Amino acid sequence: MRGIAKSMARTFAVFLRKPVTRDYPSYHKPIPERDRAFPLLLWDEGIDEPFCTGCHACERACPVECMTVLMKDNPNHKSLDGTSSRRKIIDKFWIDYARCMRCNICVEVCNFDAIAMNNTWEGHETSVYDRQDLVMDLQQLLSQSRTGNINEWVPVLGQTNETVSEADAEDSEVSN
Amino acid sequence: MSVELFGTSFNPWADAAIRLQLVVGFMTVVVMGLIYAERKILARFHQRVGPQKTGPRGLLQSVADAVKLVGKEDLRPAAADPWTFELAPYFVFIPIFLGFVIVPWVQDWNVRLLELGILYFVAISSISIVGWVMAGWGSDNRYAIIGALRAAAQGISYELPLVLALLSAAMIAGSLQLDKIVEFQSTVPLIVWQPLGFFIFFVAALAELNRTPFDIPVGESEIVGGPFVEYSGIRWSMFFLAEYAGMLIMAFVGSSVFLGGYSWPFGEDFGLPLQILLAAGKGGLFIFLIFWVRASVPRLRIDQLMGYSWKILLPFSFLQILINGFVLVYGLPHIVLLITGVLSLGLLFWVTEGIVQRPLEPRRRRARPTIVQEAEVS
Amino acid sequence: MVEVLSQTSDRSAEFETQDLLLNVGPQHPSTHGVFRMVMTVDGEVVRDVIPYIGYLHRGAEKLCETMDFRQGIGFMDRTEYLAAFNAELSYVMAVEALADLEVPERAQWIRMILSELNRLSSHFMFLGAFGVDTGVFGTPFIYAWREREALIDLFEEVSGDRMMYAYFRPGGVAWDVPINFVDRVKEVLKSSAQGIDDFDSLLSENEIFLARTQGVGAISAERAIALGMSGPSLRASGVDMDIRRDEPYLKYDELEWDVITGDHGDVFDRYYCRVLEMRESIKIISQCLDRLAPGPILPEKMPRMLRTPPGEVYLRTEAPRGEYGVYMVSRGGNRPYRCKVRSSCLSNLQALHELTVGEYVADAIIILGSIDIVLSEVDR
Repeated sequence: MRGIAKSMARTFAVFLRKPVTRDYPSYHKPIPERDRAFPLLLWDEGIDEPFCTGCHACERACPVECMTVLMKDNPNHKSLDGTSSRRKIIDKFWIDYARCMRCNICVEVCNFDAIAMNNTWEGHETSVYDRQDLVMDLQQLLSQSRTGNINEWVPVLGQTNETVSEADAEDSEVSN
Repeated sequence: MSVELFGTSFNPWADAAIRLQLVVGFMTVVVMGLIYAERKILARFHQRVGPQKTGPRGLLQSVADAVKLVGKEDLRPAAADPWTFELAPYFVFIPIFLGFVIVPWVQDWNVRLLELGILYFVAISSISIVGWVMAGWGSDNRYAIIGALRAAAQGISYELPLVLALLSAAMIAGSLQLDKIVEFQSTVPLIVWQPLGFFIFFVAALAELNRTPFDIPVGESEIVGGPFVEYSGIRWSMFFLAEYAGMLIMAFVGSSVFLGGYSWPFGEDFGLPLQILLAAGKGGLFIFLIFWVRASVPRLRIDQLMGYSWKILLPFSFLQILINGFVLVYGLPHIVLLITGVLSLGLLFWVTEGIVQRPLEPRRRRARPTIVQEAEVS
Repeated sequence: MVEVLSQTSDRSAEFETQDLLLNVGPQHPSTHGVFRMVMTVDGEVVRDVIPYIGYLHRGAEKLCETMDFRQGIGFMDRTEYLAAFNAELSYVMAVEALADLEVPERAQWIRMILSELNRLSSHFMFLGAFGVDTGVFGTPFIYAWREREALIDLFEEVSGDRMMYAYFRPGGVAWDVPINFVDRVKEVLKSSAQGIDDFDSLLSENEIFLARTQGVGAISAERAIALGMSGPSLRASGVDMDIRRDEPYLKYDELEWDVITGDHGDVFDRYYCRVLEMRESIKIISQCLDRLAPGPILPEKMPRMLRTPPGEVYLRTEAPRGEYGVYMVSRGGNRPYRCKVRSSCLSNLQALHELTVGEYVADAIIILGSIDIVLSEVDR
């Protein structure tokens, strides 16, 4: 009976503790910076076009083949009296959020830092009635970045805390 | 003959009917409150909060559950035995309702104070076992049959210690009528004179109610609901309500017989409000104890459970009656009851402990030596 | 399909009994996943058990043949989702053995810390599910998830995902841990120690728990080795075998910790070995935290697309459930020709028949819980 008394004493001790329940939705847990939600395309504000040039690197690297990429000649290229140095630009881009397994490989292989994993889950509604609504097209993928509504964390493969803090120090020096 | 109710006399049949209606209404509300209380209290044992969103602080959760259950489709298995399947909920439910007849809530507030109160209570409550077996057999489901047979075996095994514990308390109090037992305890509650009896009553009551640690007939993690697995909607909720109503009755009978009911410490002197407080408080304490045990203790296997009843609880309940007999026949002072009661309770715990092997020296370990760092080769 | 068996019990001539065929089906609260057992039950005693697996088979090994070495990491996560770091570790170390990569020291310490934390979270899951199997209503489960929540929050801060990390890479780890990592791990260790304490007080000395688990489902050391069991289930039978000590990988040979073995090999020993193992994990992690020093986390010259010379390797690590081995064959190129996972849970599950026949139905559930399987590893 001692053991049962010990069990009951322990549950009573837990009874007196403060509950650990977080009262969602009035309280939202702060999401860490590195959280990987779904991929998004980034918008180059200076030149007013996407970073993505449609080079197919992420499409090839994706393990589940959830992307479809089509590129076109960039009408905004310098040779055509434009402002951009990108010869090719993305024409159509589809990501199937139902297939994406959020492994971050597309971000790692991108040569232009054009794709990033969103780190809020509020970007796109992922509970839909029809699975086809989860295939995001180019405008939807760019929407968050265009409106400045994004908070992405783009790591460099192999970055250490020292290199990051050095880079930060450089950035702040440059901007100063 | 006419009886008084709120100052007016009625025909005894009409009077009984009115009182029963009041009790039934009271019981329904209290049972729904009990379900809510269980969810909240059990949640605090788990360091979480229970229902919160339905109504202020989740108070309307039971109402929401009831509405949901009423709206569910009434499924019947095609091969279910029609009469047994249909009638089983009633056979479980009605005896428990009938048990409310003799419970002394507070002074002069009860349905009928039968002179054979305890006998009536025990006899009636054992009929619901038949209902469980009917539910299991009529469902045409293997899990249901296993659950039903387990329930029958368990219910029968624990009737005897329950009866004997109550009878031993009645021996000391000198009557089977519940309100006389309560009044006997106006100075000292019976738990002081019958600690062993109280323990046996508590354990046997848990077993009769099919609550943890004796809930193997409804073992949720094994046979998923036992005899009630094929019932849905309002039929299932009748079983559920019957379980909580049974808990309510056991709590009030237990607190009336052992804890002093509405009478100890000063209930009869200070009138109705204190009596209500005492009765509710003691019943609530009993129920809290039931919830606490549920949150802490695993369930016993069917053979261990029956072995515990027949080989341990039954002999000890005989021992309690024997001791009571000696004390009453030879006119010994009641303090002898307390001493022998505590000693026999200690003996009971010691016997229970001897069953399990104490394992808890740490197991053999192999310590891993740290590797010696090789000297730097320059 | 199994036919209904009808046989007379050999107990007495008057009773002609028929054994009941009980289907503990794929959907069941206590089979820890989609697992089906068809039990032939005589009253309450189990006469025969036939397990059916394969409900969660997704072809992970075949998919890995079409993926290069980095893409396959995500699939390895999903073969053992409760101990994903350990699964990734085996795979990634196999690739490193093939390609002869040297892992920098900081990456090794980080890998160790995360693998041991994952062992903690996996064992918490075991304690939760096992406690519910024995019948305590919900309390062990909620305690387990309270602790797992803290651990998973930490994993999210490090890798970005709560369960499918995809964080290890051949050669090291993908990116460095956050700056407050050491403090966070110390916080989590404190709360985990409290959680283990809660479980110990709740279950280990409870008489009813002991009556349910002691002497039930015992397996001898010889039979356990013959059936290919590994991990805590094997150590509970008294076999002193732990891959972290016997074939050390990462930096386990530089630390001081104990290997826990049991005496009887019954359900209680399997449970208690895991509880004590969790305390050892906390010891290991504390020692690792002291030795974590700044440095690179990937080798200097990492190629963009890793190619391995032809060869084969079998590499095994001590996952929480036993020996998780990866047998990888490479024909040159950037993807494995064959990646076979030696799954600890599948081998441990072989013992189910032997352990369960002759026990009660209620015990069969407890025995299944004590072997601690996760179906994604059994089925891959």
